[in-house]
Parts: sequence; structure tokens; C-alpha cells
Amino acid sequence: MTDKPIIRETPGASGSGLPGGIFGEGTPTFLTTKVDFVVNWARRNSLWPMPFGTACCAIEMMASAASNNDLARFGMERMSFSPRQADVLICAGRVPYKLAPVLRRIWDQMPQPKWAVSMGACASSGGVFDAYSMVQGIDTIIPVDVYVPGCPPRPEALIYGLIMIQEKIRGESLGQHSRHRAEDPADVGRPRADAAEVTALSGPFGNSTNQNRASGLVPGIPTVRPGDRIP
Amino acid sequence: MSREEGSGYRDVPGPADDTGALVSMPEGLERAHPSVPELQARFDEAFLRHEVVAGDEHVVFVAPDRIYPVLEWLKTDPDQAYNFLSDLTAVDFGGGRPIQIVYQLYSIPHRHVLRVKAEVPLTDLEVESVVPIWSAANWLEREVYDMFGVRFRNHPDLRRILMPEVYAEGHPLRKDFPLRGRFSRAEQTRRALAQAPEDYYVPSDFGPGRDFQVVGWQEVGGEPVPVKEVATKGKAPQPSEDGSSGAASGDRTSS
Amino acid sequence: MSKKTIELEVSRTPEMGMDFRPAPGPMQPVDLAEPDLRAEKMLINVGPQHPATHGVLRLVLELDGETVVRCLPHIGYLHSSFEKLGEYRTWNQVIPLTDRMDYLAPLIYNCAYAMAVEKLMGVEVTERCKVTRVIMMELDRVFSHLLWLGTWAIDVGAFTPFLYAFQEREKVYKLHEAYTGARITTSATRIGGMMADMPQGWDVGVRKFINELPRTMDEIESLLSHNAIHIGRTQGVGVIGAEDAIDMGLSGPNLRATGVPYDVRKDRPYYDYETYEFEVPIGEYGDCYDRYMVRLEEIRQSCRILHQALDRLPDGPMNVDDPRVILPSKTDLMNDMESMIHHFKLVMEGVKAPPGESHFSVEGSKGELGMYVVSDGGSKPVRWRVRPPSFVNLAAIPKLVEGGLLADVIMVNASLDIVLGEIDR
Repeated sequence: MTDKPIIRETPGASGSGLPGGIFGEGTPTFLTTKVDFVVNWARRNSLWPMPFGTACCAIEMMASAASNNDLARFGMERMSFSPRQADVLICAGRVPYKLAPVLRRIWDQMPQPKWAVSMGACASSGGVFDAYSMVQGIDTIIPVDVYVPGCPPRPEALIYGLIMIQEKIRGESLGQHSRHRAEDPADVGRPRADAAEVTALSGPFGNSTNQNRASGLVPGIPTVRPGDRIP
Repeated sequence: MSREEGSGYRDVPGPADDTGALVSMPEGLERAHPSVPELQARFDEAFLRHEVVAGDEHVVFVAPDRIYPVLEWLKTDPDQAYNFLSDLTAVDFGGGRPIQIVYQLYSIPHRHVLRVKAEVPLTDLEVESVVPIWSAANWLEREVYDMFGVRFRNHPDLRRILMPEVYAEGHPLRKDFPLRGRFSRAEQTRRALAQAPEDYYVPSDFGPGRDFQVVGWQEVGGEPVPVKEVATKGKAPQPSEDGSSGAASGDRTSS
Repeated sequence: MSKKTIELEVSRTPEMGMDFRPAPGPMQPVDLAEPDLRAEKMLINVGPQHPATHGVLRLVLELDGETVVRCLPHIGYLHSSFEKLGEYRTWNQVIPLTDRMDYLAPLIYNCAYAMAVEKLMGVEVTERCKVTRVIMMELDRVFSHLLWLGTWAIDVGAFTPFLYAFQEREKVYKLHEAYTGARITTSATRIGGMMADMPQGWDVGVRKFINELPRTMDEIESLLSHNAIHIGRTQGVGVIGAEDAIDMGLSGPNLRATGVPYDVRKDRPYYDYETYEFEVPIGEYGDCYDRYMVRLEEIRQSCRILHQALDRLPDGPMNVDDPRVILPSKTDLMNDMESMIHHFKLVMEGVKAPPGESHFSVEGSKGELGMYVVSDGGSKPVRWRVRPPSFVNLAAIPKLVEGGLLADVIMVNASLDIVLGEIDR
């Protein structure tokens, strides 16, 4: 994959006279302003979410779709349970390692252009579940556009995160399409982050580092909890 | 090990004490349980001891090789009729002490509660399955096997239930299992994504009789090394020799 | 194969009393004469990411035509190592984990855990705390059944009850939030009491909610209970007998739908449940429709208990006066050396439970919820085990769906009222 898209210059088709024709790589021209505007307007107002709901956050996601916090106001009333027709993946809830290949497969099955929202503390960083079976943040598996903090986030927070996705789409441009969308087909089924980054992202922090204490501070307690191999 | 005199806490038996962490109540507090005397009379050789914990909870310790006839009698005898297996779990106290298998029984007709325990040593983690007595034990025993590595004889389908079938780090709820697992996070992520979601799709894949579990771990040069007792059938991926690579890395890199 | 299917169709429609259950609508079994095909089994994978599995359950179904001949559930896709984490937390720190386990009825889990530890420690909570916990548990039983009702309606093909149910749920969310500050993850209890006394007017809010709820329930019921499609899809589907159900360890509404009146609140009363006036609804046929009816009636009975509990809510302290478990008041802390020491020890080391163990069962919204805690005398549990009702209930699904039709799998799965966070833990 090359960094830059190969765009053929069409002589005579460009009224601007700029190198690059109407696509105008790097320079705003007709296509990259007006057409961008129309395309982005259409895209951001008809996002079809793929609800990858696993745990508590999925309940709040259902609450966002229900009457009181009507998600349909933002063009998202059509929850697409098939990844093939979805635009934005909402990963709501904790993701164990057993579920990681499923999440990656669903992300790979979604067609471009696609975005990902990591909803909740567990999906974003592992949350309180700093343990043997949990993925410490889905950004080690798939690229994430918006993180919604909270445990679980309120429906308003999820809606705000989706509006941020809409804002992000508003700033995109067809001329820089490959920069936004480039994804090597060889990466299918692979973790997004390499080993060093996974280790850096999943290291214990905060209170988690104190989880190795034995049962109480009194010496001589028989139940010893094994220490952890913190790198 | 006496400490904090008068604080209301009892002394904790040390690791050398083989009786587990249970401390029985004083004699005067014990109340008669409708099933325990008859159980003791009938299964004298298997009846190890009787404790009352937390005020009114009766615990009976039974020899692990006799657990099946004891529980079968408790279920089928009309005076006992413990027809509801409320819970089946295990407790590991660490320090090389035996693992306790806990059977929480309830009798819907008589409204009696009884807890039966069997202590199995770490060297011989095997008891008879009680699935023929209560079908509810099926998944509960699988979970105990998954989490503690206790094998249940004559279980119809003893596989891992919560962890992936190719999980190669051991049995998580043992006390010697570190909280964040044995492998690094990068290795765990790599292994997780190396397994294909459609594994165990066809009957020959998910049928019983496959056992590629790692049964124990030893430290060799600071690295955890699996001790295998593998009876592999079919195309199950083998845990590799060094324990750091390969359970499912061969065939499924990109699909 | 076709003959077999038709026989199943006929046998699935039991003789129904016209008085209690509405007769099936126009959906009568029809004669599907077709050539006998060679028996060729087909495998269908449902989940783990499927809207009708209520989470990340995975079912591998082996089909003969449209008949399910074998069903293999795969769970563990949400295994979050709760029980291992609990061994690394102090007794009070476990409480935030409990409500992430069953996020449909978090307060029941909070209360059940606190009760088990209090029993282990020999702490007797105050009267006001007992009644408050009863209110919380019954409120969350309604809360959980409402979500079940909404998703059940979606599975049966009706979307409107989902919206109605969620409107009612939003009111409970607001009540949760008023008391605990969180909509779902409440963490409301502490060992020996509650996180705080209830805010002023909270009980009035609960009363308003249960006064308004029956009207919505009537609306939902009028949409579903006599609906021909709903009846046709649920009556006679997923039948299980009483003995089988006890053998499989079913509990809660799933067991009561088979006619067994086993309810922990009645059989082993805790928190003076024997003094509340309520009835345990039981079913007759043990099919999906009975489970639906039992849960609907349970919502109404919970409202009855809530009315009585609100009437008898006593004044007085919420937390026990026990320096082993409850932090001293700020005034005492500043003036009293002993309170200062208690405060320091409680904050630095946490609550300590004496060596021993305790198993405490409550009637959760899904069934018998058991909490088993083992202590070695330290400030952390040696073992914290949850007897998950949905886990045991789900284990019966192969028995319920095998021999039925593929479309019925969805209804059976919905009727069991599972929550994967608790199944996989």
C-alpha cells in the first residue's frame, strides 16, 4: 500500500487549472468542498450503528434507543445487527479475550467507510476488570475513533460520543480518503497494536497496582495471593 | 499464632494445618440437623466430621471416594429428599492445602439445607460426577473443572466451559494462578486473535473426549512451563513445549 | 421428517382451559405433505453476536429440516473473572463488582452479597435497613422483569411493549440515581447498612412509580396476552415438567411456571418476608406462555410488597452501631481517640470477617441467587462464589429446544430470562 492514493489527472476536466484536476490533492477545489459537504452531510446523518453490546453498557445503549433518549433523532434509528450494512461499531461493554476474535471479525466484516465507538470504561481500558480474561481496551484489537467514558455512560454521553463521530465525519474529505480509510487487507484478524503497544496499553495503573497484597495487612495470614509479573 | 487477644477473631490455622480454614462453633451452639445423625449412622466410614458455621449452616465432610453414594442416598431417601442441587463449587485455600468440593443441597419437600464437602488433595484431583443424581450438576462440574482443574469421573462432557477450549495458562481460580494470567498481555492478545471464531463448529470439534488441558505449571528459569497430561484426539492444537507460543498459532493466522 | 414435524405441531398444542388461557388463534397446524427427504443434518451457529441471544450467548444448532435435533450452548464469551477479582478486593470493595454481574437487577445483588457477609460476621442490620433493602430488592425485581418484558416482546415481533417498558424503566433509573447516584451500577449497600440513608422524598417517588405502573402493565398485557401471534408462538413451546425442572436445577419463574411453588422468600424467609402479604404465582403447563404469565404476575406481587414495605418503613438509624464495620461519624472522629483508631483501621485495612464461611440465598429476579463467602480472618475473601440462577437455568436450554422448531429457539431463550454477565461472571 502506498501512502498516497493514485489519482489519475484528467486533462480538460478540471476547471481550476490546478495540478491534480478536480480532485485537487492537497488543495481545496470544487470536489473537495461542495461534494465533500454533500457526501459528509449524507453520511453523518444516516449512520447505522452496529451494536456490539455485551454487558451493562448494552442496557444503556438500549435505553438510548428507547423513547426517552431517542437515538433516531440523529439518524440512527436503524440498528444494524448485521455488520455488513453497518457504519459505526458501538462496542458497549467488557470484552474478554474469548470474545476478541469475534469483535475483530465483525470489524473486518464492516464495509468502508466505518467508525468505531468504544463505550464505557471496560471497552476503553479494561475498567475494573484488570484480570486474566479481559482485553485491556479494545484499541489493542481495532482502531477506535471515540471513547465514551463512564461505567456505564449515560445515554446522553453515548449520544454525545456519536455526535463527535458526526463532527469527525464533517471534517473528512474525499481527497484524503485513503488517509482516513487506509487499512491493509493483510491486517485482517490481527491485533491493531503490536506487542510493545499492547503491553504499554494494558499495564496496570492506579489502584490496580495494589491488587497484589495478601489478605489484610496482618502478617501470618495463610491465604497468599500470588503476585503478578508486572513488566 | 495467637494475636489480637480479645478482638473477637479466632486464630487462623496455619498452612501446616490440614483442616482448612474452617473453625467449628463451640459445642453448645450446635443444633441438631434432621439429616446429619442418620447420615452419620449410615455412612460411618465415609462421615468425617460435622461443623456448624455462621450460626445455622451445617457442613458435613465426606470422604471424596464415597461422595457419590452419600449424595445419592441424600437425594433418593424419602426422609431426606434433597432433590434440588442448589450449588456445586470448590474452594482453594492455597498453600498446598486440599481443594474442597462444596455441594449445597436443598430439599424442596422438607425445606432443609445441607452442605456437603469433600476434600481432594492437589495430587489427586478427582471425584465421582454427580450428574446421574442431579442433571444440574452438568455445567457446574464443568465450571469447577475449568476453574480448579478438578476432574469428575464419568462426567458426560467434561470440557472447559468459561475459558476458551485452547486456554493454556492453567486453571484460573487456583490460588497459585496470578491475577493477570501467566502470559504477558501481548501474548494473550495474540493467542486470543489466533483462534478463529468458528472453531468448535462441527460436532467432531465440540464432541466430548478431547482433552488438551494443561494440568500444572512449574517455573523453569523464571518462565512458566506447562506440565502436560494430554490425551489429544482429533485436530486439537497441542500446547507447545516452551509454553510461550503456539497453541493455535499454526493454521489460523489470516482467514 | 414431515410426518414427525406435524406430530410435533399437534402435540405442541395442549388442551387448554378456556377460562384461564385464551384459546389459540387462527394459527392451526396445517398439513404439510412433502416428499420424505433424506435425513441431512444442518448446522446453524447463533451468536455470540446476535440480537436475539440477549448478550453474547452462542448456540450451535443441529437441524433436521426445521427441527432442532441437537443444541449445544457455548458460554464464556463474557467471562470477566469476577470471582478471582473478588479475592483481591476487601469485603466492601467487592460490592461494586456485584452490580456489574447482573446489570438488570443490580440492587438485588448488592443486597444479597451484603447479607451473606453480614451473616458470616454475625452483624444484624437495623430495622430501617431491612425494610429499605426489601424495597430495593422488590424495586429491582420489577426493573429486571420490565426489561425482560421489553426484549421478550421484541423477540415475539412486537416493538411497542419495548418502548412502554423502557419508559417505566426510566422512572426506576431516576429512582436509582436519586438514591445512589448511578443509573445501573448502584453499589448501594455496605456491610452493616447502606451507603447512605434514603434522600428525602425518595419513598414518595417509589410510591408514585408503583401507583402508575399497573396502568402500563395493563396496556402491555392487552397488547400481548390475548394476541394470536403471541399465543401461537409461546403456548406449548419449550415445555418442561416439574420433576425435570427440579432435576435441572431451574429456579425462579422458570421453575414456578412448571407448578412448583418454590420461592426462597416463602420457603426460607429472610428480612421478615413471612410478614408481607404476597402470593407466589405458579404456572400449569411449564411452557413459554406460563413463564410470561408468571413474570407478569410477579411484577404485580412485587408492587404489593412495595406498598406494604413503604407503609412500615420505620424511622431510626440506617447503619448498625458497630465499629467493626461502619465508619464512625465525623464528630466522633474529631473528638474521640477510639473512633479515630476505628476509622483508621477501617480505611486502611477494611472490614475484617472472622474465619468461616456462609452461604446465603435470596430470591433474585431470575431465580435462587446464592452468595457463598469464605473468609480466613483477613480483610479479603478467600473465595467469593455466586450461585448464578441464569447459569443453571440456561443449562436446561438443550432439553427445552431439542425436538422443537428453529423459530422456537428464540422464544425459549427469551423466556428463560438470562443475563450473560451473571452466567459467565
